[in-house]
Amino acid sequence: MLRYVFRRLLTAIPTLFVIVTMAFFLMRVAPGGPFNQERGLSPEIKANLEAQFGLNDPLWLQYVHYLGNLLRGNFGPSYNMPDFTVTELFAKGLPISVQLGASALILALLIGSVLGTIAALNQNKLGDYTVIALATAGSTIPTFVIAPVIQLLFGLTWKLLPIGGWGDGAFINKVGPVLTLALPQIAIVARLMRGSMIESLRSHHIRTARALGLSDWSVVVKHALRGAVLPIVSFTGPAAAALLTGSVIVETIFSIPGVGRYFVDAALNRDYTLVMGTVVVIAIFTIVFNLIVDVMYAVVDPRVRYD
Amino acid sequence: MGTADMATPETILNVKDLRVRFRTLDGAVEAVKGINIHVNAGETVAVVGESGSGKSQTMMAAMSLLASNGEATGHVDYRGRNLLTLSKSDLNKVRGAKISMIFQEPMTSLDPLYSIGNQLIEPIRRHRGLNAAEAREEALKLLRLVHIPDPERRMKSYPHEMSGGQRQRVMIAMALANDPDILIADEPTTALDVTIQAQILMLLAELQRKLGMAIVFITHDLGIVRRFADRVYVMRQGEVVEEGEAEAIFANPRHAYTKMLLAAEPTGTKAPPPANAPVVLEGKNVEVTFRIGGGFLAGEPLMLRAVDDISIRLQRNQTIGIVGESGSGKSTLGRALLRLLPSDGLIRFGDRDISTADRQAMRPLRRQMQLVFQDPFGSLSPRMTVGQVITEGLLVHEPNLSAKQRDQRAVEALREVGLDPNARNRYPHEFSGGQRQRIAIARAMILKPKMVVLDEPTSALDRSVQKQIVELLRKLQADHELSYLFISHDLAVVRAMADYIIVMKQGKIVEEGPTEAIFSNPQAPYTQTLMNAAIDVTRFRLSA
Repeated sequence: MLRYVFRRLLTAIPTLFVIVTMAFFLMRVAPGGPFNQERGLSPEIKANLEAQFGLNDPLWLQYVHYLGNLLRGNFGPSYNMPDFTVTELFAKGLPISVQLGASALILALLIGSVLGTIAALNQNKLGDYTVIALATAGSTIPTFVIAPVIQLLFGLTWKLLPIGGWGDGAFINKVGPVLTLALPQIAIVARLMRGSMIESLRSHHIRTARALGLSDWSVVVKHALRGAVLPIVSFTGPAAAALLTGSVIVETIFSIPGVGRYFVDAALNRDYTLVMGTVVVIAIFTIVFNLIVDVMYAVVDPRVRYD
Repeated sequence: MGTADMATPETILNVKDLRVRFRTLDGAVEAVKGINIHVNAGETVAVVGESGSGKSQTMMAAMSLLASNGEATGHVDYRGRNLLTLSKSDLNKVRGAKISMIFQEPMTSLDPLYSIGNQLIEPIRRHRGLNAAEAREEALKLLRLVHIPDPERRMKSYPHEMSGGQRQRVMIAMALANDPDILIADEPTTALDVTIQAQILMLLAELQRKLGMAIVFITHDLGIVRRFADRVYVMRQGEVVEEGEAEAIFANPRHAYTKMLLAAEPTGTKAPPPANAPVVLEGKNVEVTFRIGGGFLAGEPLMLRAVDDISIRLQRNQTIGIVGESGSGKSTLGRALLRLLPSDGLIRFGDRDISTADRQAMRPLRRQMQLVFQDPFGSLSPRMTVGQVITEGLLVHEPNLSAKQRDQRAVEALREVGLDPNARNRYPHEFSGGQRQRIAIARAMILKPKMVVLDEPTSALDRSVQKQIVELLRKLQADHELSYLFISHDLAVVRAMADYIIVMKQGKIVEEGPTEAIFSNPQAPYTQTLMNAAIDVTRFRLSA
């Protein structure tokens, strides 16, 4: 197992390299640059800036410089927020996004699994239809609708929650954004869980467990649920990578200083270093979580063996 | 025992007027239509029937294991209590303790995620309230009882680490864990190789002698019935059509359906072709090697030789039976000879060397070498009409035919395999297993091939349907001077079809020769084991 993890981490290096290279050159293919703003800088200032950041060098040289810096863990300065380095921006914003994303993910896994199991055990009955209806609603209503509704109801009408802001990480400030992030994920997990649980309950070894007179608890939780959880495990990898690296919509609507906004803002402003930083962070999260998923698979299912 | 037909004081399970209904989209379907069955203490009862007869659903209903759209009414009285109306907790005190059940699918009936020990201990603790250490001792005892070697180590094994036969032994151990009155065995050996079948049946007989429980065999296999059962119920379309003592039923079947079942054994033999008949297909030193694993940083791949140095010579109008158990390489050999798999060695088709022919070069030859698969459900595209399915090959091989000519050929092909030509406008799912296998045969025959590889063409079919397919294949061979490579694990069918037999084990030929010589005087020890197992267990006693 350790050898497997080591091998996977080794193969991550060329993967990351390819991602960084593609992102670097694709970014440069897009027209414009970090200092072409509408307000317009005087040509002299712009030339000075570009010279300072090395943007006048040939592209391959910029690429080599960037790679060299990256290897030393230096993501470079942000072009649009020159007071901060990209590393500083992530050091500040990433913990916030990770907190929100992780809370939403855990909430979604717990509630979604329970709802999905309830639906599966009551297949084609009232409980099932209720869960399906909720799940359909949850996955079709967009976050930019859910978030303002939560602000309106809980914030303005009932005054239970603050309307927005991070409030230095106060619990009450996290409720709105976490709920908004979690609701669509709850819907997805519930549907996944329902499907795999129904399949699991139909399997031959569940018939065996019933024929042996085992209790419903043992049949459902010990035997059916453990097998049904595998699709949820595979879902969790990409979902964690997406949720933990922040959401533009939720962070914008609730004014949360996370990193989700950076990708869009930086891409629009051609803030090359910040875009590259975001790409690297998301890629690392994706690689690591997919590795964790594969290891979890082996933990849950003894048939999965690596090495 | 003159009382065999009536329930007596020693009757422990009494099924009275049992009906099983399934709610489906097309309305309610009655799978079991008011049947009466009883089981006396310590006896062996067989419930016999073909697929769809309701034999399994009867026992599933008795154990409250019906699918969620199923519903049972009537009585299933176990020692005076109706199991159908028992509360779930009371029912769970009977299931697995007093009445237990083993199933057809040993590969999937155990939970893949828990060790054998864990799964064995659970029902023991539940029903007998033992502590973990005591239950573990019991579990070890049970594994010894079912002759699992090295039980200490096997307790920690997972199901996927065991063979089908061993898993079925574990299932039996679990079923017997709480010393039941009745063991229901639903086709317990159908999915197993013939030598393993024999071992499992012997084990059940031995355990019954030791422990004295009653056994209810649900089976389509009359050989098992004849050898093991005291009493028999013959079921058809949800009804019991005949019942009585096994000896009496075999000696003097009264119902037409029972007579048909008993006569459904494939019979007859195939005469060998003349010695100078032209050779259609020849393989010399054919080898197929599979590569398992390997790759970046993963070390050396494992090389598995599935077909090991096999030579074969198929003449016109000849049927070579390739016999072997699962994993013997018999299907792989068939595919390699058709050049559907890369292989080493020499393969000649007629006078052409096709050992190195690529796809392009093989294409014009394909029409002359056809393949029919085991699974009549999976091998026909569900989205094409039968007409489209069987004429698809014509589009490739005779592209000049007009739509009308193709349709005419479809009509001829369907007639030839004994189906109504109107079938070509319908879809495969509207047909039964036997009819679908006829469609698959029509698809091969429409191209007028010289040879056909038949890969277990009758194994998924009921015995009475098997017989019809065997007769159809024989007729087609006689009409068209076809050569068959007949791959099968079923010795009765091979004996009726083939004039020459190759016995395979682990990719190698262990014995070959004319059919009668192999059957009457097998030389290799493995062939003898195979024959004895078949004779012990099943079919041969019926016809021989």
